[in-house]
Amino acid sequence: MNARAWSPPARSSVTLLRPSSLLGALVVILLLLSAVSLSVGRAPLDVGAAIAQWLRGESTLATLVLIELRVPRTVLGVLVGASLGLAGAALQGLLRNPLAEPGIIGVSSCAAFGAVVAFYSGFSLTAPLALPLAGIAGALIAVLLLYALAGREASTLTLILAGVAINGFAGAATALALNLAPNPFAVTEIVFWMMGSLADRSISHLQLAAPLMIVGWVLLLNSGRALDALTLGEDTAASLGVRLGRLRLMLVLGTALAVGSGVAVTGAVGFVGLVAPHLLRPLVGHQPSRLLVASALAGAVLVLAADIAIRSITVGPELKLGVVTALIGAPFFLLLVMRLRRAVI
Amino acid sequence: MLRHAVAAALLAGLASGSNAAPQRIVSINLCADELVLRLAPPGVVKSVTWLARDPALSNVSVQARYVPVNRGLAEDVVPLAPDLVIAGALTTRTAVALLQRLGIPVLELSLPSSVEEAFEQIATVAAAVGAPAQGAQLIADMKQAFAASPSVLTFISARPIAAVYQPNGFTIGSGSLINDLLKRAGLRNLAVEQRIDNYGALSLELLLFAQPDLLIMNAVENRGPAMAYEILRHPALMSWYGEARVVSLPSAWWSCPGPRLVDVVQRLRHAAQQLPPNAAR
Amino acid sequence: MKITADNIIVKVGDATLLDGVSVTASPGELLGVIGPNGAGKSTLLRTLAGLRGCTHGNVRYDGRLRTEATPHQRAQQVAYLAQRGPVAWPLTVERLVALGRLPHLQALGAHDIRGAAAIAAALADTDTLHLRWRIVDTLSGGELARALLARALAVDGAALLADEPVAELDPYHQLQVMEILRERADSGQTVIVVLHEITLAARFCDRLVLLDHGRVVAAGSPAEVLTDANLHTTYRVRAVRGEQSGREFVLPWQRLS
Repeated sequence: MNARAWSPPARSSVTLLRPSSLLGALVVILLLLSAVSLSVGRAPLDVGAAIAQWLRGESTLATLVLIELRVPRTVLGVLVGASLGLAGAALQGLLRNPLAEPGIIGVSSCAAFGAVVAFYSGFSLTAPLALPLAGIAGALIAVLLLYALAGREASTLTLILAGVAINGFAGAATALALNLAPNPFAVTEIVFWMMGSLADRSISHLQLAAPLMIVGWVLLLNSGRALDALTLGEDTAASLGVRLGRLRLMLVLGTALAVGSGVAVTGAVGFVGLVAPHLLRPLVGHQPSRLLVASALAGAVLVLAADIAIRSITVGPELKLGVVTALIGAPFFLLLVMRLRRAVI
Repeated sequence: MLRHAVAAALLAGLASGSNAAPQRIVSINLCADELVLRLAPPGVVKSVTWLARDPALSNVSVQARYVPVNRGLAEDVVPLAPDLVIAGALTTRTAVALLQRLGIPVLELSLPSSVEEAFEQIATVAAAVGAPAQGAQLIADMKQAFAASPSVLTFISARPIAAVYQPNGFTIGSGSLINDLLKRAGLRNLAVEQRIDNYGALSLELLLFAQPDLLIMNAVENRGPAMAYEILRHPALMSWYGEARVVSLPSAWWSCPGPRLVDVVQRLRHAAQQLPPNAAR
Repeated sequence: MKITADNIIVKVGDATLLDGVSVTASPGELLGVIGPNGAGKSTLLRTLAGLRGCTHGNVRYDGRLRTEATPHQRAQQVAYLAQRGPVAWPLTVERLVALGRLPHLQALGAHDIRGAAAIAAALADTDTLHLRWRIVDTLSGGELARALLARALAVDGAALLADEPVAELDPYHQLQVMEILRERADSGQTVIVVLHEITLAARFCDRLVLLDHGRVVAAGSPAEVLTDANLHTTYRVRAVRGEQSGREFVLPWQRLS
């Protein structure tokens, strides 16, 4: 055809504009929600005054509630949400399936099992780092099990079935571990581990989870280009220079680190890794590499919004975070399944 | 009052049946365990609950070691051929119904909501086990001990506020035994001021902002970690409430009618007096 | 780039997929790999592309062992077009073709200087410019095949290895794709193509390699390879031959028992 009819745009300037404005918008929303999150709570806290006091180095009740209660809760919500969104996007890119997410394929519940063993055995009291590490180990086992059950190019059906199996196993094992725990409260706490909660988390929980989470983020974010290449299948990706074994390892480790350490301190929060990538994918042209950061931000926004909603309900005991995400996510999941039914399973 | 009537009817039934005190008493309730072990003649108590041996939960853990334990199931109770079973308000209805159907006399104790009701319950159980004199003696001793403790004196304006903080962030408000004990110690109960009836959740933020003068928490138990305890060890709480303002009480002391109630009030009064003078508001 | 395979043996479990295959492909040459189903054509192509190893023997690029180059270096030099597989995400054609530039991307995902031009040229060469903003889901079979070929062309490497690029295409697009491959070879690239259609292979390829049961039955010009005897033993067909515009054509006509 006539090649001169079209001149190449200088460095695709048009497409570069959109990604940065999308990310910019997400960051702004996140900052706004963070401010709201700091302002919401049972106590009548004057956030502005508290911040001013803290900046002046004063140590008052207001700064205590702000710094020790609200800030960790908000920051942990952002970190956990970002981890789930990022892991969801990465898993979907790797498995080339929009239904893959840490909750559905069993990563979160296995991580919860690991954390439960470390916590109720008292092991994490002597070695605090054992808690997130146990969560990570649980998550790793889940991914390895998933590969063993579903294989590398698993169909949607196989993937979901494998996830059901892993979730079933992890749930049963967790219930058993809690039953065997020495403390009588343990049995009732399964709700925390299976549904997740940000309530009364402290700075020490942040310190435990954040470093390992961020290492996981680095591994996941580095896989962007390889995930793009995988769009065309493993052979083409390999021909484009992707080292498939290394990619899988990075993604497995990254997911385990990011999700496992989060679950260890907040329990398993479901559906964020499904909804966030799905909402953002059309906005990034369905390109896996561009989805990663966007999905992370969207996940953080989702979790913060859910947590704010929970704290805004003043009647009755505080809802678990996973309840709200499931209320949004489960119908979402059903919609997705119905839509995919038309495609080949 | 109704409880008195029930007890009287039961005693009448017992008296008409055997004309003697019960000889085979089984308790399937933790509070009843303490009362029967303290009041019943030796050798008459054939079984108490397994919880009675746990020093974290029971005030008579030593005595309970010499008595067989049961798990509160009808299956445990029936083979012992008891002539009196003492159950609690929270004992499963099915177990109680089964025992009654088998013709075994069951005395049901409710949760006392005040010290007066606790005294009534002591009297009831003492009568039921055929030791009314011991019961009366115990009540008299306790009343004397309550009166003997120095009453709380110098508070600038109002009485100090205390908050009971339990695992999972629960507090206990009006209509409970501990609430009455707090009153007798001269303390106000934060839960009551927050309009919490009996058990209720108290968010950590609200607790901190309400700034109670005293925090009443369970004594340290070595029963393994649980998420329920995390809130009690939250850095925000631990940094704001130093040792002087935390009263560590075994929950067993204020859960059941018995002489330990006196110890609770004494300890509370002592702690209230240790408060710095400007603590009371 | 000159690609040579030296006595390749590929065994998987008990099966021997390739049994002592030696092949040479030179720049400026369109080499066709033909043979019946199961002959090992795809296996050979994947081995040449470096997508799988071989049990014995070696592959060399310009004399250097394939294994000496990093996957990244190899990706910049050798483009591979897989047999049609699903495209996982509904990208635009532009983004799909841009995937071919992945081996050349700089830090932070920026294209190198030749990036935009290579994409443009690939779109133009495959007559897919007008499809640039279409989602791949909405393309017809022929359009998708050309878009995927454009992706491989966008790599702009020294060699292009294509696995059955004309399967499922109508005659117009079959000829179009073969012409594109011919042009690429003429412009100095090394092009190796696996084909089922021996008519197209005879017409467009400079040299052919005929495989059967993992072994090279014949190698050379189309006239040398597509003899009646070879067609009889490997394909079990008899062909009709003729001439058009100075070139001989081969048309399978009758099945032989």
